Amino acid sequence: MSKKRKISLSEDELVLALRNREKVAIEALYDMYSSSLYGVISRIITDTATAEDVLQETFVKIWNSFSSYSTEKGRLFTWMVNIARNLAIDKTRSKDFKNQSKNHELENNVTFIDEQRNTVYKPELLGIKDLVETLKPEQKSILDLVYFKGYTHVEAADELGIPLGTIKTRLRMAIQQLRKYFN
Amino acid sequence: MEDIKAYIESGILELYVLGDVTPEEKLQVEAMAAKHPVIKAELDEIERSMEQYAEENAVEPPEHLRSRILNSIVTNLGDDNTFASKTEAVKDNVVALPATKTNSFYKYAFAACLALLIASGIALMNVYNKLQESNTQLVALQADKQHFANKVNFMEGELGILRDTSFKFLKLNATPHAPAGSAITIAWSKDKHKVMVDMANVKMPVNDKEHQYQLWAIVAGKPVDLGVFDANPDSTDMKEMKTIAAIKTDAFAVTLEPRGGSANPTMDQMMVIGKF
Repeated sequence: MSKKRKISLSEDELVLALRNREKVAIEALYDMYSSSLYGVISRIITDTATAEDVLQETFVKIWNSFSSYSTEKGRLFTWMVNIARNLAIDKTRSKDFKNQSKNHELENNVTFIDEQRNTVYKPELLGIKDLVETLKPEQKSILDLVYFKGYTHVEAADELGIPLGTIKTRLRMAIQQLRKYFN
Repeated sequence: MEDIKAYIESGILELYVLGDVTPEEKLQVEAMAAKHPVIKAELDEIERSMEQYAEENAVEPPEHLRSRILNSIVTNLGDDNTFASKTEAVKDNVVALPATKTNSFYKYAFAACLALLIASGIALMNVYNKLQESNTQLVALQADKQHFANKVNFMEGELGILRDTSFKFLKLNATPHAPAGSAITIAWSKDKHKVMVDMANVKMPVNDKEHQYQLWAIVAGKPVDLGVFDANPDSTDMKEMKTIAAIKTDAFAVTLEPRGGSANPTMDQMMVIGKF
């Protein structure tokens, strides 16, 4: 548990406030994470109104089932993004969103959405081109399929026609590249 | 250490962070992380980089969504009563919810139904009262109608007498016993053996309770009782007296007798007399 210290104090405070059911906590949570979570949701669901609904459901579920989150299991965002992704995927399965999303080529989807929406460009992200260059296209497409589209690595292997082992390796390499880039 | 390194390089940690592991694998990774700080550190690194990657790809949700989502959660908070200091904001949010509108709709609908029910009840009472009134009037009108029908029948009978040529009218004039001007008109039909007293033309003193006037026919010098009557100024009918068998009379006379009449006339109380 010595690694706990790496978690920023604000996240500790946030978790504590959420446990205490404080209103400030949910506001802070929204301000800190809504755009990141919406980035994931809106890449899975292209329909704006539905994506907004899913974002709402996500925050309600985070709030209502917060007792099931434990800091020992990992970072808060990891837990939240899984909730958001699962709710979004459930939504696509419950309705015929599958047909709708098939209209867009998978690889172009992230770019397509970025063109449609106000992607946040934070000052510290001015090196966005570096990031794009950091990831090789084949790494990025696999990472985005799994992280943003909610594919399992097995489905991604089918989709891209690449062996499972290669998928796993590329995923790991992609994340290694990100770690290098962010550090 | 070799095992741990191999475990890290297997890529399972990345899949764990990406949410792409089976429940068994998930428990395994968590157990490994709890046991080996190196794995925990590696996981943390992966989580951080993915979190930052998500930040890079963040999409700002529309402005209006913030208050909508916060309100939907704060509404639940209000139920918990966790935020006494912020109750005002919570109240506002509760009011703004569409669900509240539905509730108040039913409230108003119920109130409207109740009001309608009361109004209907009052209207029904009014109608009922009017119906009662009408029924009373109807009964009164029927009684009136019966009364007039009787009267018409009766008057037709009287008219019949007037038209009947067999009736002869005779005015009986006052004797010295009676006040001057006393008179009675009678009608007699020999064929029908009937005698009537025209009550409208009885000009006699009003008799008291103990006495009544008695009409007599003098047939062959003997008085024949024809019944009694009262001198009532309100009577206007033709009073039919006892039948008379004789077809020839000397005279008709009226005496004042004790109530109910007498077998023989009290001659000194003879009030009027008349002959054909």
